[in-house]
Order: sequence, then structure tokens, then C-alpha cells
Amino acid sequence: MKTEIKIPAIAMTISLVGIVTIYSSTYMKQGEFWQSMYQRQILWVALGLAAYAVFSRINYRRIWDWTYVIYALVIVLLLLVVGSGIVRLGAQRWLRIAWFNLQPSELAKFAVLIYMGRYCSKKSADDVGLKAHRYGIIRGLLIPFFFVAIPAAFIVEQPDLGSGALVFFLFLLMLYLGNIRLRYLALVVGILVAAMPVAWHFLHGYQRDRILVFLNPNIDPLGAGYTIIQSKIAIGSGGFFGKGWLAGTQSQLFFLPEAHTDFIFAAFTEQWGFVGGALLLLLYYLLIRQGINIAQTTGDHYGRLLSMGISLMLAIQICINLAMNMGLAPVVGIPLPLMSYGGSSVIITYICLGMMANINRTRAVF
Amino acid sequence: MMRARIFSVCVAAVFVFLGLNLFNMQVIQGRRYRDMSNKNCIRLIPQAGMRGSILDRNGVVLVGSVLSYDVVVLPQESARVEQILAFLSSITGTGLPQLRKNYRKNYSSPSMPVPVIRDVDRQTAAKLEEMKLDIDSLIVQQTPVRSYPHGSLASHVLGYLNEIDHWRLTKLQDYGYKTRDIVGFGGVEEKYDYYLRQEDGGLSVEVDHRGRFTRVLGFRPPLKGKDVQVTLDWRIQKIAEDALAGFKGAVVIMDPFSGEVIACASAPDFDPSVFVKRNYSAMGPLFNDPNAPLMNRAITGTYPPGSVFKMVGAAAGLESGKISSSTTHYCPGSLTVGSREFKCWNTHGNMDLIQAIAQSCDVFFYKTGLAVGGQMIHDYALRFGMGRPTGIELPYESAGNVPNPFWKRVYKFQRWYDGDTANFVIGQGELLTSPLQLCRFTAVFANGGSLVTPYIIKAIDGRDVSAAHRKVSPVNLRRSTIERIREGMRQVVSGDAGTARALAALRVSVAGKTGTAQTSGDKTHAWFSGFFPYEQPRYCICVFLERGGSGGTASVVARQIIESMIQEGVL
Repeated sequence: MKTEIKIPAIAMTISLVGIVTIYSSTYMKQGEFWQSMYQRQILWVALGLAAYAVFSRINYRRIWDWTYVIYALVIVLLLLVVGSGIVRLGAQRWLRIAWFNLQPSELAKFAVLIYMGRYCSKKSADDVGLKAHRYGIIRGLLIPFFFVAIPAAFIVEQPDLGSGALVFFLFLLMLYLGNIRLRYLALVVGILVAAMPVAWHFLHGYQRDRILVFLNPNIDPLGAGYTIIQSKIAIGSGGFFGKGWLAGTQSQLFFLPEAHTDFIFAAFTEQWGFVGGALLLLLYYLLIRQGINIAQTTGDHYGRLLSMGISLMLAIQICINLAMNMGLAPVVGIPLPLMSYGGSSVIITYICLGMMANINRTRAVF
Repeated sequence: MMRARIFSVCVAAVFVFLGLNLFNMQVIQGRRYRDMSNKNCIRLIPQAGMRGSILDRNGVVLVGSVLSYDVVVLPQESARVEQILAFLSSITGTGLPQLRKNYRKNYSSPSMPVPVIRDVDRQTAAKLEEMKLDIDSLIVQQTPVRSYPHGSLASHVLGYLNEIDHWRLTKLQDYGYKTRDIVGFGGVEEKYDYYLRQEDGGLSVEVDHRGRFTRVLGFRPPLKGKDVQVTLDWRIQKIAEDALAGFKGAVVIMDPFSGEVIACASAPDFDPSVFVKRNYSAMGPLFNDPNAPLMNRAITGTYPPGSVFKMVGAAAGLESGKISSSTTHYCPGSLTVGSREFKCWNTHGNMDLIQAIAQSCDVFFYKTGLAVGGQMIHDYALRFGMGRPTGIELPYESAGNVPNPFWKRVYKFQRWYDGDTANFVIGQGELLTSPLQLCRFTAVFANGGSLVTPYIIKAIDGRDVSAAHRKVSPVNLRRSTIERIREGMRQVVSGDAGTARALAALRVSVAGKTGTAQTSGDKTHAWFSGFFPYEQPRYCICVFLERGGSGGTASVVARQIIESMIQEGVL
């Protein structure tokens, strides 16, 4: 099958699974808001597919030109969230635009990705070679760090530590992929490790709890550890064939919190068992694999960096989310791309996939 | 693009790892998580079954169960609970602070009903039941409670109920017993717990994460335990216990031909209902009382039998030919054996066997015993069932002890002297028997030479099981031996100088033997063991009074019992 068919096919399959799972997690709940949730997700997926169609036809090189426009837009949106964001779940992460609750941190990941892609693929005037590997510490580390740190700081301030860390991690990743000197990376990692004990003091109480609880969920089985324990029970109790659709006691009787967003994987595997879980893992892997393949066959550095970056961004989010569902990582608010309920996440993911498809389509030019 | 390739490998590796972890959680550890998931959403609301009753031989309930009404509240928001408790307080009159305290003390989990008031009376229960429509989280739970219609009657034979202890739990875990189970302690309650035990039923319901009820998954009705019928006759049991009032001791009344135990009393006794009511201030002293009220003296206690044992010496002497019915010995009031002088309690003069039994002459039996030898007396004692448990179906039966030369060498590192034989033959020294053993021994002479196995269980769940317990084996004594000793036992009561003349005036003819056993203290144990009527024995009786004085006292108690039995018309 051709890549341009594979990408939307896999993405749509996963989205469909997501809609079915969201329905199963919410149909028992009272109220219009919950009952219509899956319908809204259908809308987001439809919008996402439209965005996919659009972005797969816009030459990705145009994005290069828009980079700083998008970057500025993200900063403005993040400022708006901090300034007048609505309060929900104790965190200000949404920005209400008309009928749409925009989550600018999703957009920020995307902006950082294209910014870093552009930054690292600049060519020198004298020869066609890339400059990134010849950058000194200021150009190779401090300038991009400054550009990334601003949105990252806003996201952490929301507070959304998970997404903030993810943005920072993407930054390191793109530096690495962009052939920045390894010693700079080593320096950053060194500072990071050294700063950890200091950072501990600046964490919110619940964030510290989450990390402690991750290390030992049983210290607080009814408080912060509750989610991890219930999620593990949900996954484990699914068994090989699962309990069947709408028959999951953990998710349908609400023992599992956030069964429609962050813990949708647990809800899914409870109902579909190892068979369903393994198939889902395979689908995600195939999707990521497409991006890596495109990166490996594209001559253009910018396209290659973008494609690889998008794949890895998806991969990291997926892996962290799954690890968190299985109790292998602390509970950080990172949704499962394509499956978790949420318009911003779905649409941005489809936009990224659209760009990936476009890189695949236009790489013949180079 | 070396750096990119590293990532593609990493991504693949992480996915494989996640897949393996998923496999581990869902397939390898799936069962464990499935259990946890069930525990999450399935709640059991237990419904206690009724323990089987214990009936006497005529079907009169000795121990039964009655329903007690407990008020339980389903946990919910604290404001609602407060409202319910206030309502309860107004209906039952129990103070609100007390109810709050009970609620907090008994609360275990958000979906388990919390008992707030235990054992409300019927009217209140009915009133609350009517209110149930308005307050659905208020439940009147019916719990069966052990009841003792006859109070402490036969408390030792029947036993009591208590929470299972660690030792019993380790033994019974494999049979489905759990911690906090209520099980029988002592007597029939313990030995037949397996049959009496009810099967608790329950409702399994599915609840959501807040413990709110979603649906009923299953219901198992509680099952009543099996009834156990014992051979005791509660009227005779009551007579025996009344006669024992004020003494420490035991009375055993038994059918001499079948071995059915008709009455088995032990004093002091205890009120088994204090365990049901969890009355700790009354329970503690029971365990610490130096008088050991929880001990069944009839089967667990072992004491020197005194002169009752002389009939063993008589049987051994007659069977071995060392004495005959015409043998006479002269009693000068004492006998020197070795270097010690062994006293008789009186100066009897010339005595034959029957007179010696009737007047309990020690010198006659010293001489008989020395002629027969300690080993043979021991052998005959064993033939009469001493020195080993009788096999009655009650727990904690003692074997007693019958000494012999070998035993003395092994356990005391001493030689067996003639003085030991002299002491042995009159039932003193190291010899220990339980009242039940002596009753069984007496039955041999009542039924004409058979050793019966005492039993107390007549039927289980309506099925007669006495045939399985009834075991009668011949002692293989000559007819004449039995006859001579029977005659002697009759003379004990009817003879001019008999030691139990107190029984002579009764309307039935009694035969028996008294015993006065020396103890470490200044008071002696009193025994009377006999049977009646003499011609066609129907009952064997053994009266034992711990430090109760001379055998005459015991025979007075026996007279009281037999008199009452005649009055009550059970003889």
C-alpha cells in the first residue's frame, strides 16, 4: 500500500477506535455533556481529516516562511491563557475561542517543532552544507534555547508540567537530529540532572505527589495513587480477550478516572484485552514508522527534520501515555494522540500527519 | 542520518517493551488483576445462617437460635447519615452521640452496611421496617443469636460459642473456617461444629466507584446448620445439677447396657450466654477462676478413686483364685507392710469378701492386693477401661493414670514396693480416674460383665447415629465373680454396717460403692458409684465431690438425685 494512503488509513482507524472507546467510557454518565462527548469527538476527527487534506496539499516549504508567524501566534495564545484562561481541573490550559476550547500547548509543540526544523536546517552561503554542526555554543544552544524556553515557561506556568517537559524534550531531540555538537547536548543534560533537586522545590504539591506515587502507588491508594492503581487493574483485568465492549467494569463503573482522555488506553484494553491492545500498539508503530521512512528517503534537510520530528513527537507522546497507563511512568497530563478526547490534540496531530504526507509527496522535487 | 537511525531503533525497542509489558499485565498477571477488579466493584452483603440446635433425647431444645434485630445503615454523605441517625435516635431512644460513636466504630468501607444498634426489640424492629420506604439506606438485619433456654444446664457437655482462636484457625482453615468466625468451644458445640455450623449466605452486588449500588449479581440463601440430638435427658440432667449445687464435683448417669449418657453434670458451671453477649467482665473471670468452672470434671478431671477401686482388687483376687467367696481376713485396724503400718479406717474383725466390700475394709484388700500383686491389679484396671479415654464423643477427655511396677521404674526411677501395692489396691497414690471411667466401670457389674463405650450423640440431622457409637465388649469375667461383687455392692447399701446406708430407705434398690480418697489437702474426695434398680439395672450413677468429705456425703447426694428422679417420675 502506498504511504499517502497508509497514513490517513491508519490514523482514521485509530481515531475510530478512540471514538468507540470514548463512547464506552461516557455512556453511563449522566448529563448531555457526557452523552454527546463522542459526537464532538467525531466532529474533531472530521475537522482533523479536513486539516489533513489541506496540509497535505500545502507545500511544507511554505511553513518555513510562516515559522515565526506561527511562533508569535503561539506566544500570544499562551499569554492569553495565562492572562484570561478559564479555570478547569485546577489548571488553566484552555482558551475559549467561540465554541472551541483551544489548548495552546498542543500548538506550542507544533511551533517548536517547525522552529527547530528551520533553525537546524539553515545552509551556509558559501557551500550547500548545513551549518548546525559548526555552530558554537551561543548559536548552537543558547539562541534556540531562548526561543523554546519562552513558550515552555508559559506552559509550565499553566501549570502543565508534562507538556512543558515534552516541549523541552522536543527541543533537545531536534538539536540532536540537527547535528548540533554532542558536547552541548551533554552540557544541557548535565545541567538538567544537577538542577533536579532544585526543581523539586518549585514543583506543586500534587506534582510531587504524582512522582512519589509513581515510585510507590500504594502510599496513597485513595488519593494520588488511585489513578495508577485503577488504571493497572483496568488493563490487567482485561486479560487476553478483554471483557467485551461496554462490559468493562473499571471504566464503565467509573473506577478509572479520565477514562476518555489520558487513560483511554486502559479503558480500551480492559474491553478488548491483549488482542486489542497489541493491535493498537501495532497500528501506532506503523504510523510512526511511516514518518521515519519518509525521513529516511527525503533529501531535503528541513523535510527530513520535520518528518522525523513529527514521528518522534508522536512516538514520545504515545509511549509516555502508554507507560503512564501501565504504571511505568508518573501521571503527567499527556493525552494519547488520535485516541484521547480533545479537539486541539486531534486537529494538531492531523495537521502534523498532513505535513508528513506532504513531505512524502513533494520529496521527489529534491 | 546516523542519529535518526538510532531513534528508529529506540522507538521499535520501546514499542516491543510496551507490548511485552502489556502481555505481562494482561495475560501472565491477568488473573490477579481480574480479582482486584472484581473486588473493586463487587461487594458482599453477608446474611448469617442459623446454627443447628442441640436437642435432648426427647427432642427438647437445649441450645437453639433466636433472631436478633440489628439496625444497619448504608454509608453515604455525612449530612444524610447524620439525618438518619437523628431519626433513629428519635425512634429507639438511644442517644445521638452513642449512635455517632457506633457508626464511626463499625464503619469499614463505603459500601458495607454499618451496624448502628444491635439487638433492638421486636416492636422497634417492626416500626423501623415500616419506615424503610422513606429511608432506603436503613436496614433492619436479622441475625440469629444462640439462645440457651435452660440457662447453664449441661453447659459443659454442650460447650459455648466464641470467636475462633489462632490455634483452632490454623487447624480448621482448610475446612473453610475464616478469622472472626464463631465456633464452638468445648463439648458438643466444638466436637460437632462441622454439623452444627450454619452456611452463611449473602447478596453480591455490583457497585460503582462511589460504592453506590448498581445491580444485584447473585444471591445465596443462608443455610441452617444440622441439629444434633444428644442422649441427655434434660430433666435428669437438671436433677443432677441441682443436687450438685454448692459442691465442686461431677455426676454421671448412664445406661449400663448401651452406654448412653443420660446426665453429665459438672460443678461449678458457667452461663454460656455471656459469650454470646460478649460480656467481657463476665468472661474474664471464667478463665481465671481457680475453681475452673469451664472444665468438665466428669471427663476432663481425674482424681484418685479411693475405695471404689477395691472392686478391681476383688475381681482380680476372685479371678486369679487368690481369694474365694469363703476367704476371710482378720482386720485388727491396721496392717504392717514392709516397715510401714497401713491403717484401716475402722477395726472390722473377721471379714469375708462381701462384708469387706460393704464395710470397705482396707486390711482385707491390702491382703488381697499383696496376694495378687500390683501388676495384675493394673491389668484388671485396664480391662475395666481405666487408664485410657472411654471414647465418648466429647473433646478434652482425659486418660487418667493406672500405675504399675514398670511405669514406676520408668517415670519415677523407683522400685515398686509392697507398700505401693497396698496403696494401689485401695485406690490411692498415683492412680487417677475420671468420674465417667468409674461410672463405666460400675456398669460392668450392673450389666453382668460387659464394658460399654459411653456415648452422647443420639442423632444428627434427624438420622439416628447411636448404632455407630454403641460398642459393648465383654470383660471376660466369671459369672460367679460378677455375682459376688454385685452382692457386695448391694450390701454397701442394704447391709447393717454398709457405708452407703443412706440409700437404703429409697423405694428402689440401689447397689454401689463409696470411696473416700485422700488428697494433698486436708479434705478428702467423696465418691459414690453404683447402679439401680439392683435386680434390673436401668441407670448407673457416679457421684464425685471434689474435696467433698467422705463417701457418705456422696451417697447422700446420690440419694437426693434418685429421690428426685422418683418424684419426677423419670425412673
